[in-house]
Amino acid sequence: MRETIHQILEEARGAIGEVKSAADLEALRVQLQGKKGSLTALLRGMGRLPAEERPAFGALINSARETIAEMIELRGMALRKAERVLRLEAERLDVTEPRPQPALGAAHPISMVLGDMVDIFVGLGFEVVEGPEVELDTYSFELLNLPKNHPARDAQDTFYIEDNIVLRPHTSPVQARTMLSRKPPIRVICPGRCFRADEADATHSPNFHQIEGLLIDKNITMADLKGTLDAFARGLYGEGIATRFRPSFFPFTEPSAEVDMTCVACRGKGCRVCKGTGWIEVLGCGMVNPKVFELCGVDASVYTGFAFGIGLERTAMMKYGINDMRALYEGDLRFLTQFR
Amino acid sequence: MKVPMQWIRDYADIPTDAALYTRRMIMTGTAVEGTEVIGEGISGIVTGRILSMERHPDSDHLWICQVDVGGEAPLQIVTGAQNLTGGEIVPVCLDGAALPGGKAIKAGKLRGVESRGMLCGGSELGVDDSLYPGAGVDGILIFREEHPLGVDVRPLLGLGDTAVEYDILANRPDCQCVWGVARESAAAFGVPFKMPLIAFAEHGGDVHEEVTVEVLDTALCPRYAARVVKNVRVGPSPLWLRAYLHGAGMRSINNIVDITNFVMLETGHPMHAFDLSRVKGRRIIVRRAAPGETLRTLDGKDHMLTDRMLVIADAERATGLAGIMGGEESEIAGTTAELLFECAAFDRTSVRLTARALGIRTQSSARFEKGVAPATVSDALHRACQLVDMLGAGETVSGEIDIYPNPLPPRSIEASVKRIQKLTGVTIPAEDIAAILKKLCFDVALEGDTLTATPPPFRQDVDSDAALAEEALRFYGYDTLPSTLPQGEAMPGARSPRMRLHDKVRGVLTALGGHETMSYAFTSAQAAAKLGLAADDARLDPVLIRNPLGEDTGVMRTTLAPALLTALSLNLSHQNEGGLLFECGAVFEGHTRKEGELPVETQTLCLGAYGPGWDFYRMRGVVLELFRVLGIQAKLAPGADVYYHPGRSATLTAGDEAVARLGEVHPDAAEAFDISCRVYLAEVNLEALARLQAPMTGIRPLPRFPAVTRDVALVMDDVQPVGPVLDAIRRAGGKLLEHADMFDVYRGTQLGTGKKSVAFTLRLRAEDRTLTDEEVGKVFDKIVRSCETQFGAEMRR
Repeated sequence: MRETIHQILEEARGAIGEVKSAADLEALRVQLQGKKGSLTALLRGMGRLPAEERPAFGALINSARETIAEMIELRGMALRKAERVLRLEAERLDVTEPRPQPALGAAHPISMVLGDMVDIFVGLGFEVVEGPEVELDTYSFELLNLPKNHPARDAQDTFYIEDNIVLRPHTSPVQARTMLSRKPPIRVICPGRCFRADEADATHSPNFHQIEGLLIDKNITMADLKGTLDAFARGLYGEGIATRFRPSFFPFTEPSAEVDMTCVACRGKGCRVCKGTGWIEVLGCGMVNPKVFELCGVDASVYTGFAFGIGLERTAMMKYGINDMRALYEGDLRFLTQFR
Repeated sequence: MKVPMQWIRDYADIPTDAALYTRRMIMTGTAVEGTEVIGEGISGIVTGRILSMERHPDSDHLWICQVDVGGEAPLQIVTGAQNLTGGEIVPVCLDGAALPGGKAIKAGKLRGVESRGMLCGGSELGVDDSLYPGAGVDGILIFREEHPLGVDVRPLLGLGDTAVEYDILANRPDCQCVWGVARESAAAFGVPFKMPLIAFAEHGGDVHEEVTVEVLDTALCPRYAARVVKNVRVGPSPLWLRAYLHGAGMRSINNIVDITNFVMLETGHPMHAFDLSRVKGRRIIVRRAAPGETLRTLDGKDHMLTDRMLVIADAERATGLAGIMGGEESEIAGTTAELLFECAAFDRTSVRLTARALGIRTQSSARFEKGVAPATVSDALHRACQLVDMLGAGETVSGEIDIYPNPLPPRSIEASVKRIQKLTGVTIPAEDIAAILKKLCFDVALEGDTLTATPPPFRQDVDSDAALAEEALRFYGYDTLPSTLPQGEAMPGARSPRMRLHDKVRGVLTALGGHETMSYAFTSAQAAAKLGLAADDARLDPVLIRNPLGEDTGVMRTTLAPALLTALSLNLSHQNEGGLLFECGAVFEGHTRKEGELPVETQTLCLGAYGPGWDFYRMRGVVLELFRVLGIQAKLAPGADVYYHPGRSATLTAGDEAVARLGEVHPDAAEAFDISCRVYLAEVNLEALARLQAPMTGIRPLPRFPAVTRDVALVMDDVQPVGPVLDAIRRAGGKLLEHADMFDVYRGTQLGTGKKSVAFTLRLRAEDRTLTDEEVGKVFDKIVRSCETQFGAEMRR
């Protein structure tokens, strides 16, 4: 009896070992453990045994069944594993084969530069305010100390809709509107589209963008203006970038300054971009002219303030090495897809 | 403005190093655009005398000259010039000499005869008749004077100096002249400004017997001064005067005209010289032109005048445009024997408007437009008389006409030194401020903290303590500004609501593959018309620009669609693969605008796409995703606008408001933009999005009970839009219908013609329990019934 069971086990072991697929293994399992299986047959024949031997014999057969089940399980695992290895091998891809690529688009370079600048100024406590692109002459010029006969107002520079309505030549009218509508302290930046009657060429555009800033409070000095613009320059281009103030003239400010920034291309060593000077002219600024305060209802005996204006096109051109301003306004995907 | 450095050096001892000079001037506020050596590139050219000439043995036009260049032996030089006879002093290029433009001269042989240099002509040296009379001759330049031999020819020809190109700021009309920049230069380098002593001889007579002057409009002509010169000898100017004019970019005409130009360049006062014998009635009348009056200016052009223009007239007619250009009638000629010098101040606005109206721009009008100080008129006039003396060009009659009814009194400014220091943030000592202002010709008194400064009459720009602060800081040094941060109360910075919305829109669209574009806010009037809009469409009534650059930028845009279609067309013409473009920007309403009012500006988003993968549904998906992110519920309805495909376009409405239109572009409109493939467009009103957007308030908790999913296929008429059916399903499903969507549409013969089967998937779930089969069945039946009654749809079994 024992031998028979032993023999069945050995045969099962041999058969299981030879099975090559999960499907064959399943068939074998049915054969070994099903109703027609040899162990089942043995069990059926147990009735012929003496009653006292039956329990021990039963236990023997059950133990054999378990052993077989275990062998099938182990073999099954091994087979599944081997099959998976084969499948994975069969599924091998050419990872270098080109396929359609999901792609993000990109913001316009002027939007990117504007976003960078706004981040810096918002960090310094400035609030973004905006105004209309078609603007009254009053806000565009008169309140900014550009009286009616100022040469900068000539038709050749400014687009007119009517005598008193212009396409704003700068975003300064937003500053005038802000001074008239708010009480100091004021810390605002005014980004936006502006217009000047320049024919479009590599370095000019009749439609362009600016960001202007205005800060009014007690005890504001020109040194604060320099500190703010120094922080801005470092924020935009990193450490080691400084500003240099040169005297200049804007009707809106007094004293006024033209500001150069360390050349970003050579970090001040001197190169073709900065014509060997190490500096690049980037913006105009100054202390708000007391006459502007008077026109806009700010008490010049209590408050001082500064203002500055930066062209976004030129900044974007400098930052990305764009050598023709017109490319910014064409919408050519070969240009736009380079930004990220 | 271009000035030779020697002219500046006459009045201020500036350094010879042009780069050093330029740097310091820029840092003190006088912009310099560049410098240029007059006669740049010339070296090794000296005076030489032609001792003898003989014919070249092998040539019928070459001459062999023996030339004395001051050395021990004469040089043999071969020349082809035919204007020499021997004995002349000429410019000689020695071996190794250089000419402008980098041309080098070497000793060599000409047809076998040794030539140890070259004789040169005026054109080779860049010298013309205006700078050196006779230089324009065809041949070799012949010196008109005796000169030592072997010396550098440059100073003899008015060459070798450096000219500085200044860019004068709009607030500094006083610097539009040599004296002005010399004053600034003197202050910049801490050297004295040497104002010339102006003195001349009066030769008797009385100017008032020679001429009468009346000024009828003293507002437009605040000052008019005149002198008469008799026994005028019109002739060429001396070399120094020619060289100064040449260096300043002007040509020499004759001594009298040169004097007026020289005085204008030196003092900033435009002058005019009249041939007095041709001034009718010997009367000068400064008046407004009579309407329709005509005048022929010096350049031979006839002008029709208006009564807003100021003229200089004689007893009979207008003879010159005040401050702009003289008339042909009284022009100085070679025969002029008596003349009148005019030096006046004219109103800048009047000059500007007249010059612009007549299309004339002269050095004189440019100066008057920027502003000429009446106070210094007589200095300029006297300087002219002094030059007449110096040049022997005539004899000045005694007496002066000077009509100056309202001289501006000097204004003094009181300023607090502390305030100047506080405004700049630089503690400039009071004494330094006073010293700087004195250098700039201000009268200064300092008493404790109070600084009283009286600007010179030509500094009308300085009128406040802030202006004084600028003057002080300019010369104390802008580079002394420390870098500090503003004190005061902390303020929270922020983006504007509009900017935040634009940022969000840009973020969604770039994530969906969109590339942002920008176009001009002005466009051509035809751009909107190309869309094929109806004649009464408001978008064909734009805001007009009065002075556009050209027709293609003459109106403010009323829609962004043409800009996007133009960009798509450009990309197609470059065979670019395609993609999604978008632009955010304002459009401007012309039809609602009243005169004197600003137009309504509406922030708008426009998207355009073409290429693989793009169809109506993808464009719709982009817009719907934007709406989803902004939390805006909108309804889709078919149809958009005339420039869209009538069967492939849709409008999105929120409430009663149409907030977006989108679809395939109508082939007619596409063709108008040279587009021959299918392109897709969407237009979104950003102002509406700003109003409608709903910020996210919080999340829904995740479900705790299982869902039941059922699919249902409904057979309905093929023309029945699916959207309303899905809406009806959602309404009928109520709270328990968590999700419903379409997943298939089937058309087949067994359905019958004109029918389709639409398959929906429904997911039902309750928040608080597991749904029973009975509950699910009830909802399912309600949905099917509702579709049956509303759309005649039947469940497909």
